[in-house]
Amino acid sequence: MGAAPGRTAVDKTRELLRKAWSNPVWFSVVFALTTGLAIVLLTGGNPLLAYGEMFRGAATGSGLRGTLNQAIPVIGMALAVSVAFRAGVINLGGEGQMVIGGLAGSLVAIYLPGPGPVVVPAAMAAGAVTGMAWAMLPAFGQTRLRLPILITSLLLNYVARSITGYLVRFPFLDDGVTLTSTRPVPETARIPKTPLAGGVSLSLIMVLLLGGLAWLIYRRTVVGYETQMAGLNGRFARYGGIQVERQTVGVMAAAGAMGGLIGTHLIIGDAYRFIDGELVLTGVAWTGLLVALLAANRPVFILIAGLLFAGLQIGGQAMQRNAGVSWRLAQVLQAVVIVAVASRLSLSRWKRRPRSAEAESEATAVGEV
Amino acid sequence: MTDDRPRPELPGRPPALELRGITKRFPGVVANDAVNLAVRAGDIHAVVGENGAGKTTLMSILYGLFPPDEGEIFIGGERVRFNSALDAIRSGMGMVHQAFRLFPTLSVADNVVFREEPTRKMLIDRAAAVRSVRELAEHYELAVDPRALAETQPVGVLQRVEILKALYRDAQILILDEPTAVLTPQERDRLFAVIRRLRDSGRTILFVTHKLGEVMAVSDRVTVLRNGRAVADLLTAETSPEEITLHMTGRTVDLNRRAAPRQPGNPVLTVSNLTVTGEHGRPVVDGADFAVRAGEIVGVAGVAGNGQTELIEAIAGLREAAGEVTINGVDVTAAGVGERRRAGLAYVPEDRHRVGSSHRASVSDNLLLGHQRNPETGRRGWFNLRRVRDHARRLIKTFDIKAGGIKNAVSTLSGGNLQKLVVAREISHNAPLLIAEQPTRGLDIAAIEYIHGRLVSFRDEGGAVLLVSAELSEVLALSSRILVMFEGRITAELDPETVDEPEIGLYMTGARREEGDGGGAGENSGG
Repeated sequence: MGAAPGRTAVDKTRELLRKAWSNPVWFSVVFALTTGLAIVLLTGGNPLLAYGEMFRGAATGSGLRGTLNQAIPVIGMALAVSVAFRAGVINLGGEGQMVIGGLAGSLVAIYLPGPGPVVVPAAMAAGAVTGMAWAMLPAFGQTRLRLPILITSLLLNYVARSITGYLVRFPFLDDGVTLTSTRPVPETARIPKTPLAGGVSLSLIMVLLLGGLAWLIYRRTVVGYETQMAGLNGRFARYGGIQVERQTVGVMAAAGAMGGLIGTHLIIGDAYRFIDGELVLTGVAWTGLLVALLAANRPVFILIAGLLFAGLQIGGQAMQRNAGVSWRLAQVLQAVVIVAVASRLSLSRWKRRPRSAEAESEATAVGEV
Repeated sequence: MTDDRPRPELPGRPPALELRGITKRFPGVVANDAVNLAVRAGDIHAVVGENGAGKTTLMSILYGLFPPDEGEIFIGGERVRFNSALDAIRSGMGMVHQAFRLFPTLSVADNVVFREEPTRKMLIDRAAAVRSVRELAEHYELAVDPRALAETQPVGVLQRVEILKALYRDAQILILDEPTAVLTPQERDRLFAVIRRLRDSGRTILFVTHKLGEVMAVSDRVTVLRNGRAVADLLTAETSPEEITLHMTGRTVDLNRRAAPRQPGNPVLTVSNLTVTGEHGRPVVDGADFAVRAGEIVGVAGVAGNGQTELIEAIAGLREAAGEVTINGVDVTAAGVGERRRAGLAYVPEDRHRVGSSHRASVSDNLLLGHQRNPETGRRGWFNLRRVRDHARRLIKTFDIKAGGIKNAVSTLSGGNLQKLVVAREISHNAPLLIAEQPTRGLDIAAIEYIHGRLVSFRDEGGAVLLVSAELSEVLALSSRILVMFEGRITAELDPETVDEPEIGLYMTGARREEGDGGGAGENSGG
């Protein structure tokens, strides 16, 4: 008993707090919450009530279900982005890959007859393959024609949107409703719900598996190591004999496939109809990009940050209903977190600690995530 | 450290620069341990020490790049605190870094005038920038092309740009961190003339080096660092290289050890009619023809920028080239780096910071590159993490790399330890062919000796080594044969037993060449 063990515990806690404080991510979250608090106060609201309602609305009852369901595409798209970013491939085409894959997957679900356990996996596979194929355009554009993926993948988002818009408007239009949409996905071809929190989609397991797989790949495999080395220093990777071009194609294939999977999930597991423009309207691909940024492309952190952002979105709506504070505050919080992380704001920076401390935090690849 | 010689006396007025009790700790390493250093105004003051002795850290603190954990800095007797290099520059400090700090996509002139740009009507006056850089370069005899993009210039030229940068700011206290590492003997002598001229104009020079010949040739005083401590403070006129060496290493080293020649075996690397076309359509490597056989070290000598870098990159598969290359009997002319490495290539690149390592990755990850698919570290694409760690620890131990831990970022290593890491990783491939490009640039005597020993034992075990070095003494000490490159051509093949430095120098500058008996020198001139 005595003072000695208690003291070490205090020291440990202090050390932990100091680390968290100097970590840009945690610092940014706290910074954002403080900013939001000030905004609510300035606008005459009750910040504690607002945050309380936001939390209650995101983490309890049907709100929890909403948060988890919302987290599925956010986490999925964040993983898709991170796989590319971590390899140094700036794929901004997640949205297009998701939309194209999503339409392909839902068309299979709508038109392929058969029992659910056959149709659903077939639809998911179709979505993944189509998303992957779409991602090959910018990939080969870069490796064969020296067109930067950054530009082509971004622009192809608009092309994807137009192509799906045409397909939904003409060949696959459901004449029976006033929406510009496909026919509804038959009951049997929908992704089933789990009993968790009163009906969270089974796809949650899929994104958790994808996150776990990414974690395992980075921690334990040659492919994970090689992609990370290319991401950290392309000249070093090339010098070591890593075929960076081939790897770019592989990484884009993985990212595109994940985009296609999430797109398909959003239709056959959530909306049940492909409505023109709807996948784009929610901005989920871009939320995923922000999550990947916040999580520094690390799979485990992506799961946490994805839940956080999904919770902010769902909780924000509850806050508006119950505390009278606009749900846009949630968007402000998201934005402040990202700006703070992007500028790598942290207390350690203000104190002008040596740059080596920062370098250290990025020293991860094999055996650590 | 006991030094019974009295500390050289300083005159009544305060020193131009004084450091008191500077201490700096990095994860797992005390880089500077209560260092005291007093530099008299108008002196050329040398700071010498082995790799990892703390020279670069000390200079970085002095230049405001990061703060000391403890200790104080005085300039002209007044305490100063630098929050950034800008503060240091305002205090009249100038620094020429060991690792270049240039914008690769800006021109030489833009790099020199950065933040001090001449302006006309609020706009940058590019013509004036070019003009003043050209004048400055001519005045100090440092030939550069002010309009050329920095990234297109060889390292030798970039070094000159760095020196010009500090001179352009008219720094009163000039820190030169290993400035001669990439210079030819002639350029080095010119630099020394510049340094002396600067001193005679009242400026103070802090000259960081590990080359004792340079300390003796140019400095007035010398401070020796060892393991982060200042262990001796000497007047150059009263000391000797042997004494300084003793302070640096605690033992004496043989500076002129020559490698015994050995009977070479079959060709491991053959290069036929290799031609690399440069940016302007001119060949930068012009019809190179030679072979490197098992059990020999072939040295390539030449002034930086005469095609050596391009030749090596072409052999390694990092640069497109015409002609044929075989490694260990395998034709790798059309192969990428990976295939060439599998055929038997190991390669210590010239630029250990940007090519040879990944500074944000850990020591362990840096040691793993090229080994990641070996059965030693795992199977079927899965790592055995314990073996990966063992691999890193073994190399750190075998090659005596001073790293805080295998998870630390490589950016925390000193230049010498980083080079040891690169050499360790490449030699441990046990490949039949090793290309060593500037393998000891910027290293101290003990590390040079160590790496030379490694290269020689690699050769004695039947390995073939292609050595490129700007250090003539290194080429002479190690090579079985010497190829001289001048303007992209191999202009001579020389026997190190029968030539000396001045004679090689004639070939290096193009004053003499050995052509006429067909295309270039080498084993298979038939091509």
